[in-house]
Amino acid sequence: MTTTVIRPTTRTVAAISTAGSWLRRNGGVAVPLTLVVLLVLAALAAPLVAPDSPTAGLLQNRMLAPGTPGHLLGTDDQGRDVLSRLIWAARPSLVGGFAPVGAAGALGSALGIAAGLGGRRTEQALLRSLDVLYAFPGILLAMAIATLVDTGLGAVVLALSVVLTPSVARVVFTEVQRIRTAEYLEAARVSGAGRIAIAVRQVVPVVAPVVLVYCSSLIGLSIVYAAGLSFLGLGVSPPTAEWGSMLDELRPELFSHPAVAMMPALAILVVSVIFNSLGEALRRRVGAARDLRPGAGR
Amino acid sequence: MRRFLLRRLLLAVPTLFGVTVVVFATVALVPGDPVEAFLGPGAPLAARRELTQRLGLDRPLPVRYAAWLWHALHGDLGTSISAQRPVLRLLLPAFGETLLLAGAAFLLVLVGGVLLGGLGAIRPHGLTGRLSGGLSTLFVSAPQYSVSLLLIGLFAVYWPVLPAGGTHNVFGDGGPIDLVQHLVLPAVAAALVPLGLTARVFRAALSTVVEGELADSLRARGLSRTAVLWHCLHNASPALLTIGGLQLAYLLEGVVFVETLFSWPGVGQLLYNALSARDLPVIEGGVLVTAVGFVGINIIVDTAHAVIDPRVRS
Repeated sequence: MTTTVIRPTTRTVAAISTAGSWLRRNGGVAVPLTLVVLLVLAALAAPLVAPDSPTAGLLQNRMLAPGTPGHLLGTDDQGRDVLSRLIWAARPSLVGGFAPVGAAGALGSALGIAAGLGGRRTEQALLRSLDVLYAFPGILLAMAIATLVDTGLGAVVLALSVVLTPSVARVVFTEVQRIRTAEYLEAARVSGAGRIAIAVRQVVPVVAPVVLVYCSSLIGLSIVYAAGLSFLGLGVSPPTAEWGSMLDELRPELFSHPAVAMMPALAILVVSVIFNSLGEALRRRVGAARDLRPGAGR
Repeated sequence: MRRFLLRRLLLAVPTLFGVTVVVFATVALVPGDPVEAFLGPGAPLAARRELTQRLGLDRPLPVRYAAWLWHALHGDLGTSISAQRPVLRLLLPAFGETLLLAGAAFLLVLVGGVLLGGLGAIRPHGLTGRLSGGLSTLFVSAPQYSVSLLLIGLFAVYWPVLPAGGTHNVFGDGGPIDLVQHLVLPAVAAALVPLGLTARVFRAALSTVVEGELADSLRARGLSRTAVLWHCLHNASPALLTIGGLQLAYLLEGVVFVETLFSWPGVGQLLYNALSARDLPVIEGGVLVTAVGFVGINIIVDTAHAVIDPRVRS
């Protein structure tokens, strides 16, 4: 083993170089993670952080350009401050990102483990049913379900949970398949442990890290889907601010006030990049070489 | 090979059956009475009873499903409520427009994905590698609706060089150049996410080969850099096929937003309008046709994979 000797001329240089090398080693995870934490904090503290009300606007302030004093990102067609609305909108939009992934993570894991440990019949029945859900393009399935369940954030969360579950189940099933003939599972079976006990005590700990990493890479996708559903009019309804519905509201202004109309589009893009960078960095850490995004590899 | 194809087709039958069940159930379960929607709330009882019978709504669900499936198999997807025309008449031309857009986008995906991923694999370290990785992440994260809006804002409003929507210019000749001009922005908007994914997968596949024993032995035999690269590309191509096929399927999904924002008269826009008008037969038909197309593409990809790689066949 070789050791690098750093001879710092002053303490500051040493501190900076340590910070630099730490960042080089951990920056992939640390930078997007910090941004995600800041985003979540801003959403939670929206009443404190947002400079203005998200729903009350003055009509004489309609469609002010970004950079107008007091309105950093401009105002919308009802004179409401766009920055404030974007901050408040983070609340439903982040729920649309985290809640479906959480639900799909739990349900998908249960289904994947059941398919992996159950008999051949269970396995085939579960896999075939998941195939049916797979046959629909994700957003179309979400649209169909959201139309069924009435509009609102609940409908979005439910629809996206259904859409994301099959891919989680697939990943978990593959993982369980890999370990199901392992000796320690055989030992547990011989010593008389029931199926559920084996699933909970032996399989879940092995599968959990994979599920966590995979799910972290789904959050960005779920945010994009949720905003998309709201954009289509199937999610959060006005006057509540939500990134997708803001996009839809400002769309008619695209030709007269492009700068303001592009703000929500840009916001969703930036947030999506942050979450995907985090998911990717985590995945690289864990060393899963495969790309596990739905649509990328089955 | 024939056996593989046969088995793959047979496997698709239960999937497609399930698809029809899900589509039918979704529409059958939608809250609200279709008879009331047709006739209005104050309609006389006799008229309501007559229409209920004519639509077959008095029959049990399984019977209705069987009748619907029978009609669907014969190309009868019902009548659009808002357009009062057969759904298939609306869907077929729209599907053609969607295929045109998806085809143009697919071309971008393949060319861009191979270039971006290939550069990243050949020069993994330094600026090129980082740029390749960063751009892939950016593209993968770029939602179609955001990209569509930003592209329209930048290239049709701020710097008006390309049309903001439609398939042809009202005052133009409608020739191929006009069409291509209208295709550029929506095709880019639809292509970015699959392009990023393709680049990533191709980069991973190519770098495995470039860093593997095959490349070493070729280099040891004294082959030129270009010749080694050529062999490596050849070896990495099956991965491109699999991911490319899946991306073609993914394109069918992204067009809902792209077509809506660019007023492209395809299935996506049709579905969006049907959704706002709650035109259930059109939603039903559109989702069904897209899902069948999705399954079809997957079969083609699997088959092509089996043709290239004999190991897949068993």
